[in-house]
Amino acid sequence: MNTITVDTWLYGELARFGGNPEERIFANRKVSLPEGSRLQDLLNILGMRTEERGITFINGQLSAMPGLQPDLDHPLHDGDRVAFFHLRSMWPFQYRHGVTMIQEMQKAIIETDQMGLHHAYSKDQPKE
Amino acid sequence: MYLVRVNMTNRTYQVTEVPEKYKYLAGRALTSNIVADEVPPLAHPLGPNNKLIFSPGFVTGTSAPTAARISVGGKSPLTGGIKEANAGTSWGADLAVMQIRGLIIEGQPEEKDKFWGLHITWDGKPKVEFFDATAYTKQPLSKVYPPIYEKFGERVSVCSVGAAAEYGYCNSGVCFNDQSKRPSRYAGRGGLGAVMASKGVKFIVLDRQGAPGVEIADKALFEEGRKKMIDALRTHAITKPKGGLNSYGTAILINIMNEAGGLPTKNFSSGRFEEAPKIAGEAIFETNKVRKGKEIFNHACSPGCIIQCSNTVYAEDGSEITSCLEYESAWSLGANCGISNLDDLAMLNHLCNEYGLDTIETGTTLAVAMEAGVIPFGDSKAAINLVHEMGKGTPLGRILGSGTETTGRVYGITRVPTVKGQSIPAYEPRAVKGIGITYATSTMGADHTAGYTIAPEILGVMGKVDPLSPEGKAALSRAFQATTAFIDSSGHCLFIAFAILDIASGYQGMIEEINGVLGTNWTADDVVKFGAEVLKVERKFNEAAGITKAADRLPEFMKQEPLPPHNTVFDVPDEALDAVYAEL
Repeated sequence: MNTITVDTWLYGELARFGGNPEERIFANRKVSLPEGSRLQDLLNILGMRTEERGITFINGQLSAMPGLQPDLDHPLHDGDRVAFFHLRSMWPFQYRHGVTMIQEMQKAIIETDQMGLHHAYSKDQPKE
Repeated sequence: MYLVRVNMTNRTYQVTEVPEKYKYLAGRALTSNIVADEVPPLAHPLGPNNKLIFSPGFVTGTSAPTAARISVGGKSPLTGGIKEANAGTSWGADLAVMQIRGLIIEGQPEEKDKFWGLHITWDGKPKVEFFDATAYTKQPLSKVYPPIYEKFGERVSVCSVGAAAEYGYCNSGVCFNDQSKRPSRYAGRGGLGAVMASKGVKFIVLDRQGAPGVEIADKALFEEGRKKMIDALRTHAITKPKGGLNSYGTAILINIMNEAGGLPTKNFSSGRFEEAPKIAGEAIFETNKVRKGKEIFNHACSPGCIIQCSNTVYAEDGSEITSCLEYESAWSLGANCGISNLDDLAMLNHLCNEYGLDTIETGTTLAVAMEAGVIPFGDSKAAINLVHEMGKGTPLGRILGSGTETTGRVYGITRVPTVKGQSIPAYEPRAVKGIGITYATSTMGADHTAGYTIAPEILGVMGKVDPLSPEGKAALSRAFQATTAFIDSSGHCLFIAFAILDIASGYQGMIEEINGVLGTNWTADDVVKFGAEVLKVERKFNEAAGITKAADRLPEFMKQEPLPPHNTVFDVPDEALDAVYAEL
């Protein structure tokens, strides 16, 4: 079976999933996956529960926010850059208003209350 | 409450009750109204007819949390328009405790080389004395603050300007002490430091001893509001103890903006900096942990702040390099200059504090100089030398001190990231289009603090517009700018917006605090109306100063040069930009 390589960036405390369990600044790991893999498959290989991540990017496009993760089935391709942020990260609305998002995220944001103005999207927001 | 009017032509002062007209104005609302009422729009910003106004917010000096902001206003030498810049400092709280709603510095001494200090004390009402401060000029601020504390006592608060202001630089800020008496809290943008220096004022020292404190009309209501605000700040993930801001500071945004492709890099030629993780909040926190042998959480810049987002950067030997290295400073002096050496970056920030320079304008200016070939991108040692040139007042230093736009003009550079003469901060409008609208239309020139998001239910636009359409973005920008003008008048730090956006009771708490202080019955709707009135006043002043809607545009290169990695241009139509104020 053909494999793809995903350029994976892990920030803050998530850097521990990059190979060195002591690392807490950032880690950059090239992850090999079978062709046809999805974001959930990448999480599985990293050994990271999806609840541990917050803001997520696929090729610089916003794909998840705390409490809103429409990207688990997003297909990955060879050379994709995926970045995972820890739950203490933040991205206030005014500094992300109009950024590019994967289609699934764009749809999910529009369906939220208040059209995505908040910092977190879980029912009991804001939550760590 | 008092207005204290200091005339520097003859070093006299007047203390009057706040007139009825200004009774319900404070902070930015007051500084902007006094500028509009008293400064001729065509006055030279460094001439005798400009004025410098200080005003604490409504709840500054009370026990409200995270509320020690001081607004500084005047006509800006950088933009030529109205300017309000604010800082968090005990100085703001002390001014409020001395019941000074507005301190107005006007006139100009005839002697050009002499500088003065103002010593303001409480003697039944505010009392101003003048002292010769000429001996303290042309020195790093960390050298002159200690003797001032020695002279006036440890309890005073100190406002000052650095050498940059004494030289009349358009990128000089007004400096205030932090909680450790560092000269490090800046009302940085727009060159108001040079306005203060043009009045011959080097220091304003406040001694609050014996002062009565802020009068609170309805203490029970104030207390109720204060508790709601504290609860909101203490529970929200971003603002709570050991949360995002308390751990990583504002530089927590470096990696996020970099991954989004919106971190302006090497003079806005890319949206991604390969070495960004080395200068991010996470790197600062972990580097400090190694160098100090323990986790160092951030500290408060001012009394009563429970967010506590100010970091300190320590050297390998454990000594302090600088405090505080904000996101915008780490970006401007770091990524935007291609610099990733954290120690050198911290030193650049420190030198800006020493000389009294706005870190944002300084970084964007250095990057334009790098593009011009004055020094290479990424050369941190050469960048440090250029900041020293500014501090020494050499001819090159004076060019750079004039700001990004002037430096671009001097070197014939076309990629000059400014709006209304003020450089664009750390969020690339080609990647973050919503903020591009605010940069373009703000009365302040490009300003990342002009459009904070607060409670959507009061914005009056939700459900009516598509927030992703140009019209929707314009409507949101208008609402954000108005509500921000209100927070800038409240005395609260803008970062309360993070918590009160998500926690409705916190938002209600802010209004109750202010109603408690003033004895008013303002509602959520009044917040937007109040802010809109401030914007109208500012807009009118700018128009009379020659800054019309034609200036509500981003620089041309942003419409033409695609920004990697997304390779997008700023494509929000001019009609959408014009719509922001058309409906105000």
